[in-house]
Amino acid sequence: MAHAYQAKTALGRIVNEIEETAIALLLGLMTLLTFVNVVLRYGFNTGLIWGLEAVTFLFAWLVLFGVSYTVKVTAQLGVDAVINLFSPPVRRILALVAGAVCILYATFVMKGAWDYWAPFAGLDATSGRWFPTGFAETRDQAWYEVVDMPFPEWLRWIEPIMNEGETYRKLPRFIPYAILPFGMALLLFRFVQAFVRVWTGEATSLIVSHEAEDDIKDVQHLNAEK
Amino acid sequence: MEVLVLFVMVIGLMLIGVPIAVALGTSSILFLLVLGDTSLASIAQTLFQAMAGHYTLLAIPFFVLASSFMSTGGVAKRIIRFSIALVGHLPGGLAIAGVFACMMFAALSGSSPATVVAIGSIVIVGMREVGYTKDFAAGVIAVAGTLGILIPPSIVMVVYASATDVSVGRMFLAGVIPGLLAGFMLMLTIYVMARVKNLPKGDWKGWGEVRRSGIEAGWGLFLIVIILGGIYGGIFTPTEAAAVAAVYAFIISTMVYRDMGPLHVKGEGNNLALWEKPAALLTVFFHRDTRKTLFEAGKLTVTLMFIIANALILKHVLTDEQIPQQISAAMLNAGFGPVMFLVIVNVILLIGGQFMEPSGLLVIVAPLVFPIAIELGIDPIHLGIIMVVNMEIGMITPPVGLNLFVTSGVANMPMMNVVRAALPFLAVLFVFLIMVTYIPIISTWLPTLMMGPEIIVK
Repeated sequence: MAHAYQAKTALGRIVNEIEETAIALLLGLMTLLTFVNVVLRYGFNTGLIWGLEAVTFLFAWLVLFGVSYTVKVTAQLGVDAVINLFSPPVRRILALVAGAVCILYATFVMKGAWDYWAPFAGLDATSGRWFPTGFAETRDQAWYEVVDMPFPEWLRWIEPIMNEGETYRKLPRFIPYAILPFGMALLLFRFVQAFVRVWTGEATSLIVSHEAEDDIKDVQHLNAEK
Repeated sequence: MEVLVLFVMVIGLMLIGVPIAVALGTSSILFLLVLGDTSLASIAQTLFQAMAGHYTLLAIPFFVLASSFMSTGGVAKRIIRFSIALVGHLPGGLAIAGVFACMMFAALSGSSPATVVAIGSIVIVGMREVGYTKDFAAGVIAVAGTLGILIPPSIVMVVYASATDVSVGRMFLAGVIPGLLAGFMLMLTIYVMARVKNLPKGDWKGWGEVRRSGIEAGWGLFLIVIILGGIYGGIFTPTEAAAVAAVYAFIISTMVYRDMGPLHVKGEGNNLALWEKPAALLTVFFHRDTRKTLFEAGKLTVTLMFIIANALILKHVLTDEQIPQQISAAMLNAGFGPVMFLVIVNVILLIGGQFMEPSGLLVIVAPLVFPIAIELGIDPIHLGIIMVVNMEIGMITPPVGLNLFVTSGVANMPMMNVVRAALPFLAVLFVFLIMVTYIPIISTWLPTLMMGPEIIVK
């Protein structure tokens, strides 16, 4: 069952605040940008050509960044009809197995995310098919750019470092794609934490059965037996 | 054969409590690593492109946001007031009003559990106060709440459209008549039950109340006009319509309804008017309530999209292995016609819909059955509506229908009582499903009328 998330330490509260604000901000920006583009088209017969691409990147950022947060607050949807049939000790073992599966998953996507992103950032991808076994020499693809988004002037100083001094005309790909390794690393971290929580008995499962579970808590008292 | 292992693994993992998204993702990754030659990097790319490469899915966060603003902004109680003013005086009036309110709320929100919580929490209490049994009240709401995914805008339809490349606009239009029909059938059932059992009826409060409550609720309901009108008038793409709807919902909830944001006064006092606090025009963007609503909608978007993104990995596996083609060949060889095929689709979705979040289920099932349906000459839009109605019913079919859980939570009563209470209405929805499945014109008439005959690409 879901329980409202409470940060235990001052640091935890700060991190929580940052995460929640980032999620709100990303969604707000997506909405505003799309809206502004509609207004520009009808009101001023113009538009931001890079608007759509920017919105899709923000969308990817929202989901890939936010997913670790949903693990932290146990908001991932799952099926609890079967596990609820078992006694608490069995349920705990199942939850530990489920936690291990989640960690395995996060390890896979973390390796995948790095391998995909690293060449764009001029770094080496890892070798090995299932798990990283080391680094393999990878062709530098830092010159890859996105389609529409222009390169911001204030970032010119990265050209000598990333692109051998060549000018970027559009935003280089490694910037928007950086959310992949970052988000997936956070996801791995949060799954490990979730596993530990089940291990220590602090939590009983990793999932909620539907998205409205918190809201139900708020209204349940209305229909309590008198 | 391998595919069977894949599906058993997905279901097995889900049942032991692995999050749906991870169950889908892990099974597909293992499958690809063992049998395919795909690298983990390309799986990461699929995850990223699920958001960055699907323009249609981009409508989902905006619809979720619009419905969050609407539900926090107190539209639910205004819709209920309007419904009661309109139909409350009929026999079984409050129950009929509950169904009517669910239908209208469904038109503002794309989710069934959200509809049950928003309408159910208020209506069930109200029904008990005037003498209905709690069971009856809960049964009505559990079933009427499922209309959330059938009446447009609907997140599930956006997902279907994206998975099968049909037009979102057509899907939305196709949902209108079935949605109204289902609501009408439910109301008629209640009316008949009320006549037989002599259920309480309310007082007719006059046209003045209808007009007043109608205007109040109208601010919220205008959202549907923006969405549908905008799409069919060719003004917006569905994604843009959703974003405009979100901005509209934001303005209505903070500036007109003022149940949230800087103009809201806690407690009994009247909310402030804008001229009393003009600074609100600026502060509203940074207000705590605004941030909270954005965050809640963001969180829900993340959980839904993470499931969809992982289901896309599974879809990747299925297409790589040419599973749909194999199944369709097998079915055609076995001599199954359209009728038998639709029965099979019905059964799969009824079972799947019990366990799984509807949009995730659709991403997996749609690409499996879609090519077969096209092969058999079934209309893609019609198929989409069938799938949506099936999942509606899955949500209220015992033992594990999702809406049953939500209702039992909202009404604070045991699951089994909700199941029993919902049964008569479940039967009505079954009749409705059969009608929708075998009378395609219910779904296809309106979209064809408004947008012309569709072009089906095999």
